[in-house]
Amino acid sequence: MTVEPEPAGAPLTEETGLPAPPVSLRPAHWDLLYNVERFALPALLGFSLLFFSLWPKTGPLFASTANFQEVASDNVYIGVLALASLFPLVCGEFDFSVGQNAGFTQIVVATAMARFHVPLVWAIVLAVVCGALVGVANGNTVARLGANSLIVTLGTSGVLLGIVEWYTQSQSITTGISPALFQFGSRDTLGIPDVVLLLAVAALIVYYLLEHTPYGRYLTSIGSNARAARLVGLRVERLKFSAFVLSGALAGVAGVLLVAKNGSASPEAGSVTDTLQALAAVYLGATSIRPGRFNVLGAMLAVYFIGFSVSGLAIAGVQSWVSQVFSGAALFIAVVVSTVIRRRRIGAT
Amino acid sequence: MSVGVERGTIHCLLGGNGSGKSTLIKILAGVYAADPGGSVTVDGSTIAASRITSEWTRSVGLHFVHQDLGVFDALSVAENLAIGRGFPTNPVTGTIRWRSLRQHAEMVLQRFAVPATPRQLLGTLRPAERTMVAIVRALQDQSTASSGILVLDEPTTALPSVEVDRLFEALRRYAQAGQTILLVTHRLDEVVAVADRVTVLRDGRVAAGMERSEITKDRLVEVIVGRTLGHRAALRAATIDRDSVLEVRELTGGPLRGVDLQLRRGEVLGIAGLLGSGRTALLGTLFGLHRPMAGAVVLEGAPIRFQSIDQAMDAGFAFVPEDRREAAFLDMSLRENLSAADVPKYWRRGIFRQRAEAADARQTIVDFSIRAYSERQTFGTLSGGNQQKAIVARWLRRKPRILLLDEPTQGVDVEARSEIYRLVRRAVAAGTSVIVATSDFEELARVSDRVLVLADGRVAAEITGPDIDPTDITERVLSSSGERSRGS
Repeated sequence: MTVEPEPAGAPLTEETGLPAPPVSLRPAHWDLLYNVERFALPALLGFSLLFFSLWPKTGPLFASTANFQEVASDNVYIGVLALASLFPLVCGEFDFSVGQNAGFTQIVVATAMARFHVPLVWAIVLAVVCGALVGVANGNTVARLGANSLIVTLGTSGVLLGIVEWYTQSQSITTGISPALFQFGSRDTLGIPDVVLLLAVAALIVYYLLEHTPYGRYLTSIGSNARAARLVGLRVERLKFSAFVLSGALAGVAGVLLVAKNGSASPEAGSVTDTLQALAAVYLGATSIRPGRFNVLGAMLAVYFIGFSVSGLAIAGVQSWVSQVFSGAALFIAVVVSTVIRRRRIGAT
Repeated sequence: MSVGVERGTIHCLLGGNGSGKSTLIKILAGVYAADPGGSVTVDGSTIAASRITSEWTRSVGLHFVHQDLGVFDALSVAENLAIGRGFPTNPVTGTIRWRSLRQHAEMVLQRFAVPATPRQLLGTLRPAERTMVAIVRALQDQSTASSGILVLDEPTTALPSVEVDRLFEALRRYAQAGQTILLVTHRLDEVVAVADRVTVLRDGRVAAGMERSEITKDRLVEVIVGRTLGHRAALRAATIDRDSVLEVRELTGGPLRGVDLQLRRGEVLGIAGLLGSGRTALLGTLFGLHRPMAGAVVLEGAPIRFQSIDQAMDAGFAFVPEDRREAAFLDMSLRENLSAADVPKYWRRGIFRQRAEAADARQTIVDFSIRAYSERQTFGTLSGGNQQKAIVARWLRRKPRILLLDEPTQGVDVEARSEIYRLVRRAVAAGTSVIVATSDFEELARVSDRVLVLADGRVAAEITGPDIDPTDITERVLSSSGERSRGS
């Protein structure tokens, strides 16, 4: 090993002879690979749509406007849950309670109208506030105490399930729900279901928050390196707390959408299974559009990739366990691929 | 080099940075292979120094306790003693025989007079006792006290003075019982207190050996530095007429025990000190990372007391931490890393000015000679030196009034190192004042206008003048450390 003497007293000129960046810094295949990654998911979605439309066995049923509308609006609920889980995930935490939280808030909105005759608007507000309060409980425990978010929110999820079962005595709430809510769930504008438009608006807002505000940048920084985030002056606890509150509030919106879709509130709707589906979509989305990063567009594409594929498989007549395996495998592959991408991005081997 | 260690004595191994202490210990432990030629003899069994293995080390009874003790706070004392040695198990079920484990621990603790019980969690012990458990763990299977050698590598670095006294008391007891101890340390007071003999290393050779009666602190400093002590220059030089930006008075908290210092405008103030002297704590406290218990910090005449880091940043402080992993957002882009400390700047009327941010990032990349192909490059794929330049740039972009640098060139190659200091100097010319702490005294001597020596949470000496000499810093650091044994 030889050590070159350093130019100790080199002058402070601007032309310090900065050499042109050596080409080797940029792997030759980088651009191609990166773009393949970026557009893999939209391509998969396109492939799935084409395949089930052209396959004689599924084509006639699958490629109908009615089916498209139905699949699109059926998956809005999972889409909102995916948006809800994005906030904690971006700052490096899990919210495992979003699905059950939606199950809880659908009971809140339905009960408020059916038993206490609260007007629709205020019932919705109440449900969103209740969802946010669950987020407050999660956020407080995770951010202030530094407890493991996966375990904490899993616990919250269990508590909410218990509350729902106790309060409803395992009975669905079917009467006394404002018809306007159910109508909203099945109405469409120019052929596009209104709930899908709602999801689009919500996704746009979340996208704006995460990608185009300092707030989103702060959450991303915390997710990348919480200690470094603190050293550049971020209030890490407060920001994490807010992510859980937003997540809870969005889960509240998802709860309202459940009632809008079903026209009733069932104690079985809204569960940990839904959380898993939402997380699968978010992880799958992180492999695409902005590979290695949780991102809104990727998550939405993933929701519909899984949604349309499962619908196509169902029309083809495969048994329901195949769809289960499909969703599970999608999550598994998504996690593996996004981990590999992340490791390569930060230069680890 | 040749060193002889007598049975039943406490033999201290001393030397400055790079004198060869650590290398010697690592050769003995079988971590490094020595060049062929030398030999080592323990209790009559001789081996070529180039062929030492950890098996041989164990077989002759060389026991090592490193600075990082390798003990488990969440486990009991008995479990800690058994780890690495093996747990006694039931031959049929394979489960641990807890009673026999505890009995063994009880016996060992009694034999070495460690004030602890087998069931106690290690984390609940006092620091000195934790160290003792680590020592006892190494010695437990020795048949008699007089066989083997215990090698302690800087065992006191993290211990407060009372604890050091307790530990040494125990060591002296073991030595009286016939235990041979080789103690590696930086703290001269400890040497004066416990050593029966001393070997001082310098530049990979034995510079001197001393017997108990010859050991004095001044003699030790002389031998370590390699020249006789001259008259020390007057402590306060005549630069006080320049106005001070930052004044720290009696700052106390954590390892800090009343730090006084003045930082002048446009000055690079170096902080020298051993590990545990409070260097890192001082910078962290100034940045609002730790709350001080007492003392005052005055910035441009106004007293300040930060509740949080963003307040410190608003007041014009900037901080580059010792460990780059504490500052880097590895999976984010270079651009995002550069603007991490001034994100709100780009947020205007509900729109995040991405283009302005990118343009600023490109400008910074040029200004700070960061080698990257684009501002969009993932931070983790930059070289260590370029990452560090970017982190320094992140703060200098804010034109801070006070820049706090903790080991700013750790793990950075020579070229990036000089570039970083060139950038710091440029900021100083523009009005920034800098406090830099590093354990590389040559670097400190080269970049600082003035150096303060921190020892045991206090400013122990000040070195000024046109030529700051690294050996001078070494000398001051060594001779002022360890004063704690008498203080407090």
